[in-house]
Amino acid sequence: MNGSQTSREKRAWRVGLILAVICAAAVLVSLNTGTIRMPPASVIRTFLGMGTPDDKMVLFDFRLPRILITMLAGIALGMSGAILQGLSRNALADPGILGLHAGAAFGLMIYVSFFQTMEGPVSLWIPLFTFMGGVLTAALIVLLAYDRHRGVLPVRLILIGIAVAAGFSAVTLFFSLRLEDTTYAFTSRWLLGSVWGRDWVHVAALLPWVAVLVPYALSQSRSLNAFTLGDELAVGIGTDVGRKRLLLLAAAVGLSSAGVAMAGGVGFIGLVAPHLARRLVGPMHQHFLPIAGMLGLVILVVADTVGRSLFQPNAIPAGIVVAAVGAPYFLYLLVRAK
Amino acid sequence: MKKTYLSLLILIMAFLTAACGQTAPQSNAAPAPQQGTAGDSKQPAPAGKEPRIASLSIHLTSELLALGITPIGSVVGGDLKAFLPHVADRLKDTKQLGVVADPDMESLLALKPDVIYADKDYASKDVAKYEKIAKTEVFDLNDGTWRDTLKKVAKLVGKEPQAEAFIKDYNAQAERVKKSLQSQIGDGTVLAVRVTPKELRVFSMRRPIGPLLYEDLGLKPAKGVDKISKDKAFEVVSQEVLPDYDADAIFIVLNKDEGAQKLFQQLQTSPIWQGLKAVKANHVYVVPEQPWLDYSAMGAKMALDDAEKRFAK
Repeated sequence: MNGSQTSREKRAWRVGLILAVICAAAVLVSLNTGTIRMPPASVIRTFLGMGTPDDKMVLFDFRLPRILITMLAGIALGMSGAILQGLSRNALADPGILGLHAGAAFGLMIYVSFFQTMEGPVSLWIPLFTFMGGVLTAALIVLLAYDRHRGVLPVRLILIGIAVAAGFSAVTLFFSLRLEDTTYAFTSRWLLGSVWGRDWVHVAALLPWVAVLVPYALSQSRSLNAFTLGDELAVGIGTDVGRKRLLLLAAAVGLSSAGVAMAGGVGFIGLVAPHLARRLVGPMHQHFLPIAGMLGLVILVVADTVGRSLFQPNAIPAGIVVAAVGAPYFLYLLVRAK
Repeated sequence: MKKTYLSLLILIMAFLTAACGQTAPQSNAAPAPQQGTAGDSKQPAPAGKEPRIASLSIHLTSELLALGITPIGSVVGGDLKAFLPHVADRLKDTKQLGVVADPDMESLLALKPDVIYADKDYASKDVAKYEKIAKTEVFDLNDGTWRDTLKKVAKLVGKEPQAEAFIKDYNAQAERVKKSLQSQIGDGTVLAVRVTPKELRVFSMRRPIGPLLYEDLGLKPAKGVDKISKDKAFEVVSQEVLPDYDADAIFIVLNKDEGAQKLFQQLQTSPIWQGLKAVKANHVYVVPEQPWLDYSAMGAKMALDDAEKRFAK
């Protein structure tokens, strides 16, 4: 037992290291991608403060904010999916499938209808609104999926999630029809999962959520491990099931809502990243949570880079790239599950 | 273990795809002629030499063309993802700068324009960013007609006589078209409807179509057109209400795509349509989206040309 534990840990470190290299490479390529040609050498030179004024503007004003947002959103979505899968004991749980994205979209729609603008310091509020939308859906789903004798039923959770998502999408659509033309065009693109944040203020809006919730989730990996054993056993080994579940669920909702706020309704990352992570480093949360976050980062950064470079000049939203790869993977999982 | 490496391999492959993808666009992004440095590009252009203008509005691009100035860069039409067809042949050497809602900042920077022209509706929040690249002039296209915008542009580029001449010619031509129109529909009321794949839109008195028909050509708006909110360019209506406008003539602005064509065909076979006063009198005019929806000096002029040809007979 002990032996397998340490070998798993070794493996987690090894995979983590390789992934870190891939992350760095993906980010570098992404920084390198754009209309203005900028070789990696001048990217590095500019970072060291020795670039030309133009290089500085391209890197710090145009590219870096967007890439940071993509990275943070990727981590948030990957981790959120990992936490949800642990909590629900269901490998198909994903913030998108569970309806959290629909809730977040609903929150955004309320925000857009109310403030009319997505720019400037007000945009710091966007994650808060998507979070409230997310919490609302999560509360509804948990309430409806709760069985007094058996607790939250994983299968019911997914089905109810789909139903609630449909309901919220309908309301969102209703609100979106009352928007101005340009705002409507923006929100419909956003809902597909387009990394729209371009400014540092958007990084500032997203960073606190990731900086607080990711360490919290990592610190709770033991509780998550306990949850995978089932509620009875978890109580048996001394976990405060009710409170912990609520806190972790809130963390997952917070992460996915913040990610969705800035990167749009990117589905499947929350599903694919934890899956790959589990196959890479095994089922212990202390191992696969950080790996899932890193995989989320790589997937979203690569998808965004592909989306905005491969199809020039008409950039396609990252969400579509992810879905194009994620949907078949989801089907593959379903088929294999039988 | 095998699975581990397989998964990592897939990741690396995906990542390589991205790496390959980024080389493609760079080849067509031929470096623009770089003149001067960022510092002196902010200086006003020396007299006698045309300023290098980047236009962040398709309509401002058309204003510039009317004055005989070709912008070095311009945004493209939002739906078309290309320059508007009626001016595309004059923009062969103009760099595309993405769509107005999300202009390609890097292309803009690479162009090193002397001055950037922007539309207040879209650019107000990003002006600070544009100012970093070059001096930015913001135009409120809702303020007055295209003549006002043209005059403002002409003042900036020192081509005021050309603007005056253009407007004079236009007004004279408008008078001519007005007469030939009157011979056809008298002083009947006119409705302008856009057919998109999804819906029918009745144009308000506002730009793009309103000022053209109801001011320049002196046509009478159909019943209810002047009631459409001043904040809206159009109102979405269902087919059943078309008779309520009781129009003597109808301008149909038809989208090019198949869906819109289909909807229009279906509309034409409906009894509601066949019962319309304008249809019975054969006063339905189907016009293309462009130049009719490009509310600018060039667009209005070319729409007028189109109308002149139609009604000359």
